[in-house]
Amino acid sequence: MQAPPAQKQWSVANQMSPQLIEVKSLSKDYSRLKVLQSVSFSLKENETLGLFGISGSGKTTIGRSLMLLEKPDSGEILFRGKDLLKMNKKEISLVRPKLQMIFQHPETSLNPKMKVQDSIAEPLIIHKNLSREEIHSEMKRLMRLVGLRPEHLERYPHQLSGGEIQRAILARIISLEPKFIVADEPTSMLDASVQAQILRLMMKLQNDTEVTYLFISHDLDVLRAVCDRIAYIEAGSIKSIEMNEEKRSWAEQVRDSE
Amino acid sequence: MALLEVSHLDVGFNTQLGSVQAVNDVSFQIKKGETLGLIGESGSGKSVIGMSLLRLLPMNACVKGEAFFEGKDLLTMKEKDLQKIRGERISFIPQNPTASLNPLLKNGLQVSEVFERKGHSKENSWKSALKVMERLMIRDPGLSAKKYPHQLSGGMRQRLVAGIALSLQPELVIADEPTKGLDSLTRGKTIEFFKHLEGDEDRAMLLITHDLDLAYEICDRLAVLYAGEIVEMGPAGELMDLPSHPYTRGLIKSLPKNGLIPLEGRSPSLLELPGGCYFGERCCHHKKECSCKHPQLKNSGAWQTRCHLN
Repeated sequence: MQAPPAQKQWSVANQMSPQLIEVKSLSKDYSRLKVLQSVSFSLKENETLGLFGISGSGKTTIGRSLMLLEKPDSGEILFRGKDLLKMNKKEISLVRPKLQMIFQHPETSLNPKMKVQDSIAEPLIIHKNLSREEIHSEMKRLMRLVGLRPEHLERYPHQLSGGEIQRAILARIISLEPKFIVADEPTSMLDASVQAQILRLMMKLQNDTEVTYLFISHDLDVLRAVCDRIAYIEAGSIKSIEMNEEKRSWAEQVRDSE
Repeated sequence: MALLEVSHLDVGFNTQLGSVQAVNDVSFQIKKGETLGLIGESGSGKSVIGMSLLRLLPMNACVKGEAFFEGKDLLTMKEKDLQKIRGERISFIPQNPTASLNPLLKNGLQVSEVFERKGHSKENSWKSALKVMERLMIRDPGLSAKKYPHQLSGGMRQRLVAGIALSLQPELVIADEPTKGLDSLTRGKTIEFFKHLEGDEDRAMLLITHDLDLAYEICDRLAVLYAGEIVEMGPAGELMDLPSHPYTRGLIKSLPKNGLIPLEGRSPSLLELPGGCYFGERCCHHKKECSCKHPQLKNSGAWQTRCHLN
C-alpha cells in the first residue's frame, strides 16, 4: 500500500513542469540480444540531456527509436503527452518536422549527388509553402545563422570539410523549426577546434530557438561541457541520471571567450 | 645520429585549380626509440607527411626535399631498394582499420601472409601470426585468427592492423590517427596499447593525430602543424603545459575540458597561401609585421617556434 503515493508525487511534479518528451519503459530485442531494457527518461523544453555509454550500449538505438527510425518492441514515447508509437501516418507526418536528427558521420549524411543548396532547400520545399524568392532569402538567413559562406551552396558534399557539412546539416534541420533534436555523436569525427565551433553553434541555436537536445556521445568531456543532465547507459539500461553542475550558462561562456 | 632525418620536405598536389601546397618546408628528426607526435587540424598536412616518407602518395603529388633513413634518402632511392625498407624496417599503420583489412580473408591469414611473403612456410607463418597476435594483447588469438574482420570490435581491428604493421619488427612505425572515432573505453585501451609499444625495445614512432590527450600521454616530442608547416616543436609535456605559439594555445583551449573556446576563422586555402604569417588572420596578437613577413622557425634549445612575437 506504500507504492501508490510515490507514484502520485511523481505525476504531480510532472504537471508542474511540462515535459516535451517522455520515454517510458522502452524495450527492444534483436533476436536474443537485449538492446534496450525498460529505458525511461524525460526531457523538458529547452533542455539538453546527455546520453553516455560505450559502443554497443544502446545509445544510438534509443536515439533512432525516438526518431521513429527503429521500432521498439514495447514502451511509450510521449511527445507533448501523445504517444508517437500509437500515432497513425497522418499524425506522424504532422509531428515529424518537429523531430530531427544529426548523424555521426558527416560524409554520409548528405546526398552526394545533390549540391548543398538543394539539400538545404529540400525540406523547405516539402514542408513549407514558400515561393522561390522566399526560399532563397530563407536559405541566406540559415547560412548566416550557421556560419557558412554563400560559395558553399554551390558545392557538393565531398567538396566540404566535416565541420562544414555538420553546419549544413544544422541549417537544413533548423529550417523546419524543430522542437527536439537527437544529436548522435555529432562531433566525434571532427578535430578539437572544429568540434568546439560546432558545439558552440549548437548551444547558440538552442539559445535562439529553445530547442531541446538529446546529445549522444562517448566523450564525457563533451557532455560535461554542453549538457544540463547526463544519463549513463550500460548494456541497454540507464544506470543513473545526474545533474551536470559543470555546465555554465551560454552567457557566461560568451563572456569568458571575449 | 638520428634514425630519420627529414629536411625541407615540400609536398604539392597538381590539380585542375592549380598546385595545392600541402606541406611546406618541414624538417624534423626522430632518434632511435623516440616517439614524435605530429598534431594539427585536418588539412594541416599531417597524414601527407607520413605517406610521403614511404612514397605512398598518388601520382599527382610532387615531393621535394630529403628524408634520410640511416644515411639513405627515402625520397630518391630506387623503388626496389625502398621495397626492402617499406613494411620491414619502416611500417605504416593506416588511419581506418576497417577499410584497411580485407573483409573476405580471415584475420590470422592477413597477418601470416606477411611472413609467407618473406618465404616462410604456410605452417610456420600461421604460428608466427598467432605469436604476433598474442603479443598485441588480442584475447584468445587462436579463436580470433579464425574469425573475419567484421567479427572483431573496433579496438581489436585497430590492434590487428597494428599487428600486421609490427610483425616484421620495424625500427620505425608511422601511425596515422589511431584513435579517430573510437569510444572512450576502446580509446583508453588503444592508448595503453601504444604505451606498451612505446616501451618496447628501441622502436621509434611517428604518431600522427589530432587527439591531443593521446599525444600528451605517448609522445616524447611534439610538432604542431598549421597549413602544412611546423609552427612549434618541443618536448611534449612542456609544449602542452606552456605552449608558446598562439595557434597551439588556441588548439589546447578548444578542448571541452578547457572551456571549449573555438579558434575564430578558418585555415588559409592551400591553393593561395598568404604572404605573411599563415595564422595571422586568426591570431589575436596580430600586428603589422605579421601580414607582410613570413616568420621563420626560431630555435631556443630543444624548442622551435614560428612566430614574430616570441
